Amino acid sequence: MEKKSFKARYNEEDRYYDNKGYSSVDYNYTGPFLPDVNKMAAPMICVPGQRLCPDNEKVTAGRGTYSRNGFVYSSLAGYLQTAHSEDGKNIIEVIRDGDENVVPSVDAIVTARITNVSPRFCKCSIIKVGKTDLKDSFRGMIRREDVRATEKDKVEMAKSFRPGDIVMARVISLGDSQSYLLSTAENELGVVIATSEAGVTMVPVSWCKMKCPKTRLEEHRKVAKVQARFIEYSGSGP
Amino acid sequence: MAGLELLSEQGFRIDGRKPSELRRIRCKLGVFNQADGSAYIEQGNTKVLAAVYGPHEIRGSRSKILHDRVLVNCQYSMATFSTGERKRRPRGDRKSKEMTMHLQQTFNAAILTNLHPRSQIDIFVEVLQSDGGNYCASVNAATLALIDAGIPMKDYVCACAASYVSDTPIVDINYLEESSGGAELIVATLPKSEQIVFLEQNSRLHEDNLGPVLDLAVKGCKDIHAVLDQAVKDHVAEATAGSSIE
Repeated sequence: MEKKSFKARYNEEDRYYDNKGYSSVDYNYTGPFLPDVNKMAAPMICVPGQRLCPDNEKVTAGRGTYSRNGFVYSSLAGYLQTAHSEDGKNIIEVIRDGDENVVPSVDAIVTARITNVSPRFCKCSIIKVGKTDLKDSFRGMIRREDVRATEKDKVEMAKSFRPGDIVMARVISLGDSQSYLLSTAENELGVVIATSEAGVTMVPVSWCKMKCPKTRLEEHRKVAKVQARFIEYSGSGP
Repeated sequence: MAGLELLSEQGFRIDGRKPSELRRIRCKLGVFNQADGSAYIEQGNTKVLAAVYGPHEIRGSRSKILHDRVLVNCQYSMATFSTGERKRRPRGDRKSKEMTMHLQQTFNAAILTNLHPRSQIDIFVEVLQSDGGNYCASVNAATLALIDAGIPMKDYVCACAASYVSDTPIVDINYLEESSGGAELIVATLPKSEQIVFLEQNSRLHEDNLGPVLDLAVKGCKDIHAVLDQAVKDHVAEATAGSSIE
């Protein structure tokens, strides 16, 4: 792909912008929606503040966009992408190359490394949200009552997590000002990678135990039952 | 004015510009690898570097945390060698603190702050050479750095200063014009939606002249926007072309 073709393309758009007051993706959506934006050889480049299209019932403003005064605008510098949602709407997104900025949000699946275990809670650092690696870890906390769904009062933290374990968890609240509150109270959530005292990666034997392949010793963990369906959803299997 | 003609009889300014002419702008995005976003800008002899980090977890005092939006943290500093007379401290003096606050206000208005609650975005601005319009160059550099970092914004923020000399409004004033004691109007706008996010005036200006001067400054912002826009589009096109080769 040549740089020139991009330039030619957006100069054209600019001219359009000057003439009609908005950019070339500006259809009224009577015909097929943005017919070939995704098929085009050169993706359309968007910059912050660029008006993309009218904000009506056929359109959803996706990532990298925002709507104001009845129009969808770009909020990032990237290229335009459109997709169809299940309810027949067109999702307009502005995609950026390279890594995105994400912060954990409520209900997101996160991957975290346990840093500190105490009888009432354990602390961890969140290293991944969904499919995206974080450049910078966020602090998280799993309280004793959020480790598993049943027999909450019998949970022993030391038998659930150890420092260094890699855990999949769900964000249940943004917590206090110190850290995000996480929960592993689902079958699919819990420890996915753990090393034994011998320093070997252990294999799960039941939902509450893992075995060291070297020493054959079993250790207690709140083990995640990793399911393909689930991995696809969260995008971050072991 | 002690023999200093800010506007010659032929209508040219000290550096040879016309009253409505900007200084040359050169800019570059992505000048650092370490920062999430960075930019360098030259407006005439004013040269500014900006770096953006984040959004990341709140650092320092956790009491600063905002539960519904991101904390925009700015730091403005001037290199000790940036001015004619060597500066003693690059940051922390009253002027720098004021500038820091102004930058913070400006970018709070332009960044979509509600997207990253409980996080922090750091904007570091360093003036390498100062020849007037430090705030303007800082805002323009920081805008480019924010775009490079992929932080969602309503629009570009472009800033421009203007003054009024011998019955003529002049745009993008340099250090000499700034320090001659005339009025100085600094404005930061969202150029596409034509909203003013920051306005500052130093010394007095007659009410009748405010309109033309403000118009010229806003026009200057739009002209700056055109230059920055081209730079950003070139940068994105380059990045996209680079990645789609695979």
